[in-house]
Amino acid sequence: MNLKELKEIIDIVTSNESIEELEIEKSGVRLRIRRSSNHVGSVSTASVASIAASPTITSAPAPSKVLAEIEELFYIKSPIVGTFYTAPNPDSEPFVSVGDMVEKGSVLCIIEAMKLMNEIESEVAGEIVSVLVENGQPVEYGERLFAIRPR
Amino acid sequence: MFRKILVANRGEIALRIIYACKELGIKTVAVFSEADRHALHVRFADEAICIGPPKSSDSYLNIPNIISTAELSNVDAIHPGYGFLSESAYFAEVCEASRIKFIGPSSEAIRLMGDKARARSEMNRIGLPVLPGSADSIHTDKEAIATAEAIGYPVIIKAVAGGGGRGMRVVHSRNELLSSLKTAQAEAASAFGAPQCYIEKFIERARHIEFQVMADEHGNAIHLGERECSIQRRHQKLIEEAPSVIMTPELRAEVGCRVVQAIKKTGYSNVGTLEFLVDEKRQFYFMEMNTRIQVEHPVTELVTGIDLIRDQILIAAGDRLPHRQEDIQFRGHALECRINAEDPVTHRPSPGKITSWYSPGGPGVRVDTAAHAEYVVPPHYDSLIAKLIVHGSTRDEAIRRMDRALEMFVLEGVKCTIPLHRQILHNSAFRKGNIYTKFLEHLQEPRVRAVEMA
Repeated sequence: MNLKELKEIIDIVTSNESIEELEIEKSGVRLRIRRSSNHVGSVSTASVASIAASPTITSAPAPSKVLAEIEELFYIKSPIVGTFYTAPNPDSEPFVSVGDMVEKGSVLCIIEAMKLMNEIESEVAGEIVSVLVENGQPVEYGERLFAIRPR
Repeated sequence: MFRKILVANRGEIALRIIYACKELGIKTVAVFSEADRHALHVRFADEAICIGPPKSSDSYLNIPNIISTAELSNVDAIHPGYGFLSESAYFAEVCEASRIKFIGPSSEAIRLMGDKARARSEMNRIGLPVLPGSADSIHTDKEAIATAEAIGYPVIIKAVAGGGGRGMRVVHSRNELLSSLKTAQAEAASAFGAPQCYIEKFIERARHIEFQVMADEHGNAIHLGERECSIQRRHQKLIEEAPSVIMTPELRAEVGCRVVQAIKKTGYSNVGTLEFLVDEKRQFYFMEMNTRIQVEHPVTELVTGIDLIRDQILIAAGDRLPHRQEDIQFRGHALECRINAEDPVTHRPSPGKITSWYSPGGPGVRVDTAAHAEYVVPPHYDSLIAKLIVHGSTRDEAIRRMDRALEMFVLEGVKCTIPLHRQILHNSAFRKGNIYTKFLEHLQEPRVRAVEMA
């Protein structure tokens, strides 16, 4: 995603008041854009001030304040075809869960292929943002297993 | 019968196998590399699993990933197609151990025929004539000189583990012998990981004629006649036809009978092809046996009306041969032109996007391909993009039909062999059937020189 695309996306959000929050994930980049003001449509008295502050009287469209947050996520992909397991055996706790901090080399999961249990290690240090495959599911080569926010 | 088959291949042959499975009511699982995510075999199979990056050694040759896919998708059998793992005795063995049926012969049969020197001596022992030559690989210079003298020049040096023309050298005199042997051994070592070479008689104007065989697992075997594949460049076939112009029904019956006897004696099952060199006196010399379905199988399908892939699957499932020898009839003449993405003069590969595509149809025309408009020919695999196959009542009709089909074949964006095929088809020696394995080399020599001088 280049700056031009980023600007266009922000423009769409600012010019369309019905969009409260937008999250895009594309080729390893996650973009979240959120309005800093409260719900425009809500009539709670607490938000009156901010609504009043927006120049609705003038004809020129005024951009609302938008908070853009861009982050690079790292994806752990399956190096083999096999069955994905989150834990070393059915009775154990998963190796990792969302929110856990992992080190480079930490075991994240097991992929069983041809009766062999292959431990898959993290290639980066960081926080587990999501586990993308369910326990016991088959995975193909290159399939995304975990999203990690690198430290 | 099988419920589900994994197709361990790509391109037109993967599609061809999927056609047969669909017609038999068998589910299919495609495997693909990252370069083939949008390929037609992926689209038309019931399931598809990515098995690796584009490089074939990491994907289509990746045995652990293919076996894992077979286990995960719960298939009964694997069809290896041609190339890739189709003649890997080890892969067939892994399938056997994993109790997945390998659609092909046993791993032992593949291993025997894969060792060209052993295959020749074994076939010779059970009654097929072979070219005079060293029964085994050559170890010393002295041995090489003595063997070549005994056979008489010219001789050809070939890699024991060879195929596809690599590790081959023709030697016309004693002066060239030892240096050619060293080159051939070096080529063999780098191409196949084994430097062993053998020496045999070289026939100046040899034809390449092969016999299609089919055998079940109950000891029955038949032959489906011959294909002539003399139009080759660097030992890669370019045009195949059936029948051969030199064949008579009597000669076919005679050679066919010996071929069937030989494969019965080896206990071979499934489809296979025995390749022969044929000299100007119509003497057949066994060269090697291919233990897989071949690229040019449609030529035999058109003259016999038999679906070879279907029968191959039925035999692997344990069925008896669906045909008796006396039922096999040969009708008309079939030709196949291999349309490769390569420069028709230099033969350099020409991968890239096909910008415009129309494949011809009409009576007696068949196109086996996995290409289409906007298809990107990947640089990672072989250059075959389509097989244009025609059938006519006579050889002359088949040639005319092929010529008009080639003329109407629209293929833009990549260079291809269509202009070369038309040049061959218009050659009067080809029209008369005066062909031999060096035909193309001699036809192209003046052009190549002209290009070099320009």
